[in-house]
Amino acid sequence: MRKTSFSAVVLAVIALAALPGALASPATRAADPGITSTTILLGGTAPLTGPAAAYASVARGAKAYFDSVNAKGGVAGRKIQYKYLDDGYDPAQTVQDTRQLVEQDKAFAIFNTLGTEVNLSIRDYLNAHKIPQLFAASGATTFGRDVAQYPWTIGFQPSYQAEGWVLGQYLAKTKKRGKVGVLFQNDDYGKDLLGGFKRGLQSSGVKVVAAQPYEVTASDVSSQVAKLKASHAGIFAIFATPKFAIQAYVFANRLGWRPAVIDNAVSAASNIMLLASEGGKNKAVEGTVALNFLKDPTDVRWKKDPGVRTYRAIMSKYAKGANVNDVYHVYGMAVAYETVSLFKRLGANPTRAGLMAKARSLNDPSNPFLLPGIAVKTGPGDGFPIQQGQLQRWTKGRWVPFGGIWTSKKL
Amino acid sequence: MSRLGFVAFAAFVVFVAVLPTFVSDFKAQQYAYVGIYLIALLGLNVLTGYTGQISLGHGAFMAIGGYTSAILMVGNEQFGGPIGGGVEDFWTIPVAGVVAGLVGLAFGLPALRLSGLYLALATFAIAVAMPSAIKRFADFTGGGTGINLFGKPELTGGLTGVTVLGRQLSFNDWLYYLAWTIALVAFAVAWLILRGRTGRAFRAVRDSETAAVSSGVSLARYKTLAFGISAAYAGVAGALFAVANTYVNPDTFPIALSIFLLVGVVVGGLGGLSGLVFGAIFIEFLPLWAQGEDLGSHLPGFLVDETKKPGGPAMVYGVVLILLMFVLPSGVGGLFRRVGEAFTRRR
Repeated sequence: MRKTSFSAVVLAVIALAALPGALASPATRAADPGITSTTILLGGTAPLTGPAAAYASVARGAKAYFDSVNAKGGVAGRKIQYKYLDDGYDPAQTVQDTRQLVEQDKAFAIFNTLGTEVNLSIRDYLNAHKIPQLFAASGATTFGRDVAQYPWTIGFQPSYQAEGWVLGQYLAKTKKRGKVGVLFQNDDYGKDLLGGFKRGLQSSGVKVVAAQPYEVTASDVSSQVAKLKASHAGIFAIFATPKFAIQAYVFANRLGWRPAVIDNAVSAASNIMLLASEGGKNKAVEGTVALNFLKDPTDVRWKKDPGVRTYRAIMSKYAKGANVNDVYHVYGMAVAYETVSLFKRLGANPTRAGLMAKARSLNDPSNPFLLPGIAVKTGPGDGFPIQQGQLQRWTKGRWVPFGGIWTSKKL
Repeated sequence: MSRLGFVAFAAFVVFVAVLPTFVSDFKAQQYAYVGIYLIALLGLNVLTGYTGQISLGHGAFMAIGGYTSAILMVGNEQFGGPIGGGVEDFWTIPVAGVVAGLVGLAFGLPALRLSGLYLALATFAIAVAMPSAIKRFADFTGGGTGINLFGKPELTGGLTGVTVLGRQLSFNDWLYYLAWTIALVAFAVAWLILRGRTGRAFRAVRDSETAAVSSGVSLARYKTLAFGISAAYAGVAGALFAVANTYVNPDTFPIALSIFLLVGVVVGGLGGLSGLVFGAIFIEFLPLWAQGEDLGSHLPGFLVDETKKPGGPAMVYGVVLILLMFVLPSGVGGLFRRVGEAFTRRR
């Protein structure tokens, strides 16, 4: 290939590019994409594989709930189809998956996408295209705080800063003095929790003496736990996702460290705690304190609760083979329940703008999958759907709640 | 390149140029990613396929390219860094190639002392360390939050599309032509490098270092050169990757990316260029197919059901990879060569 023919090839590419006229014309549409007379398409991504694969149940629980609603005829005659793709907790993959859901599958809204960085990676894109980013599964404060800048994005769970603040306040109020060692994930999620936690501890005798970050891509956190033990902390705060939280408990036990533990909600599901307790052998787990807002299906208190009964019935019918005791399924159902009631309020002709308007004026005091007394509420100046939680203590293989419902002040 | 090879290349160029006419806007975007991966694979093959140096760290060089591009576009003053940004995306791409290439050259020097598996481990280490390093220097890189490019004036055509030579292109079509124009140029450049003296030296180093040295080939010179070229390709691919994603953060370039790239080179065929297109297709589409999406949805029903189960996609991915290595031990490029040989022998 001579130089001349080479540049001719390059020119040919450009020239040929200019020839055909297959352009996606900005067609004028009567209704928003993703809605037909019989269906509504919601798209989302979930970590079905990768370091956060434990959260795959969130998507599965939501899908099971939608399927159960669809079996009864759906909402206003439309069946809610929820299509979720695996992003492996990798933001680059989330971007591509989300574009597929929006541009190829024509999703009406992006729903329940899980992960902080993951949701950040698609927020500008979705807002620029005016596509709802509904109930992003992340407690990063920005999703509830920056409503003016990102009107098309809304979260669901309590913000990590608020959660950290409650945990800090709890320690500040119950302990005269103490040294805390913190393990946290080195991203916005971990830093938000740590920030809120420190604020909750302010002007108390309890101090953070060591804070060890870990990367979500790391294989284990043994060295971090060893360093925290060496800091002579009497309290161990675990702000980590399930895989790493379990490791933290196990390594603490192996090192013979017996701190009082506080754990973050995203890793405090009973099934995770049971794994961490190594069949009751790991005494570091006993007495852990965490904040919760979901009904735990393994909790005997809810044995006859209509919400948990509904949950079990739906799981056995629409999520065959899944672990019913996995509380992340409950999270999925709680968020799907709220979505169904949103669409009910939207009436016969849902629009994207209408969906966001209604999502900004939620007022549901009785989501059957959330703890009694916890309301799902938004309004002008309040972009956080859930802002309440209940402290609980891990006692002999199960969570025992104590104290009243905490309501976080705006953080 | 033989006459036949040149005709095949020209036919491929025509195919690439008209493809968007026949596929949806969204598909054009997926094929743009294929072009981007192709660039990275071309570079990696110079190093691994031709020079015999295994790199498990090319995702890190892509990260360097991606971040160079993103920081030049929007700057890092918002995080407290010194760079103002404001460079249009197109012009950041060559800079990203140069920066990554220089880092590759610098890395090539210590890598001289390592060979085989030890080099693989050393390069793997940079892939592992890269996300943490990016987070560590948050005031330069934006940390875990990353850098958003969408809606920025430096990003060409984000919302509105682009007019090229009087023709209106959507953002996805623009990405497609941008990626593939660069990919085809990169292909030709790689071919020009590899056909001559330099390519012979690379192959000599791969086949036997002792023999290469005794024939007067400088190991140090050619190994570092291969590293530099290869990293520069990865840098260009990383810059395009950032532009196509319209977002970079440390996890945009995970360890898995480095491994996928090596898988892509092996599937495409070590020591050949044309098969790499299939390696790139493999990287972009197999994860989707393994989820029962796209072509995967045309599989028999029970298989599609399998892909929807927990762990299903990863299983399918693994099984396909193993099968492929059984059927095509020397990759798609190897198949091409065998078919070509059979063809010439009959004549």
